[in-house]
Amino acid sequence: MADITHRGNPVHTSGNLPAVGSRAPDFRLTDADLKDVSLADFKGKKKLLNIFPSIDTPTCAMSTRKFNEYASQHPEAIIIMVSADLPFAQKRFCTAENTNNVKTLSMMRDRNFAKDYGMLLLDGLYQGITARAIVVIDENDKVAYTELVPEIRQEPDYNKALAALK
Amino acid sequence: MAEALFKGKPAHTSGDLPKVGSKAPDFKLTAGDLSDVSLANFKGKKKLLSIAHSLDTGTCADATKRFNDFAKGRPDVVVLVVTADLPFAQARFCTAEGIKNVVTLSMMRDRHFAKDYGVLLTDSPIAGLCARSTLVLDENDKVLYTQLGPELTVEPDYDKAFAALK
Repeated sequence: MADITHRGNPVHTSGNLPAVGSRAPDFRLTDADLKDVSLADFKGKKKLLNIFPSIDTPTCAMSTRKFNEYASQHPEAIIIMVSADLPFAQKRFCTAENTNNVKTLSMMRDRNFAKDYGMLLLDGLYQGITARAIVVIDENDKVAYTELVPEIRQEPDYNKALAALK
Repeated sequence: MAEALFKGKPAHTSGDLPKVGSKAPDFKLTAGDLSDVSLANFKGKKKLLSIAHSLDTGTCADATKRFNDFAKGRPDVVVLVVTADLPFAQARFCTAEGIKNVVTLSMMRDRHFAKDYGVLLTDSPIAGLCARSTLVLDENDKVLYTQLGPELTVEPDYDKAFAALK
């Protein structure tokens, strides 16, 4: 369990992010076409997971735009937004904002991803959805970099995250 | 377990809708301001529960507009629209569509509501979300009317639901 804040108030996550150097937990998440996707679908490639509470809130939207900008110049980069938003909301956002260079995956079916990555919020206004974090996973599914953002409303450290993806 | 159809193919639910004549199960759902709400918050009013998979899909949007128009002239009735959309998506929808007479409630924290009302979809492309259902409760939370599906992408029977509220 990790201590972070939301709007300055203490909140708690269900666990801890996977440790750097450990094997990333597999997951089942759902894409914009309502198809289930697992870590194995990105086999042999580096991937960056941008985990956040909701694409319909300002900081999450901002980070999606920023990662999309990078991905538009680096077509080989796999950058995945993960949230509890339904795929319909994620798709609507990406169409409206033209952020089609990043992937979005939804926890619509369950919260197993949030639990396995230690990110499920147990209290606070966002109880039941996730805190904000970055996880970079290498070609062999080993965790290369993580950041748990200490205050949910803050943006992640883009430079460090993207450096880890290179 | 009950069976409905999603785009013509069978889709199964985790249980059965509460029976007509029984007392509706209590629930904890999350309102637009992220506060938690239970059945007791609407004490003394007749309730129409419009349960759907997502407000960001066409049929659910149409049904919500129809129920919103109905609620305008019925101060004795509260219309509760329940989905797994996050409250942010629900609020965006209602603002964009000028929907002011219904209360949107989200299952953002867990799926207990869906399980307790027997409407959690256990298969189909929208597994993990709610099967489209309509329930009418009287002032004492007794179930007066229910409809499941039958086709999850088709609008509910408005006339029968409204008749149950007379």
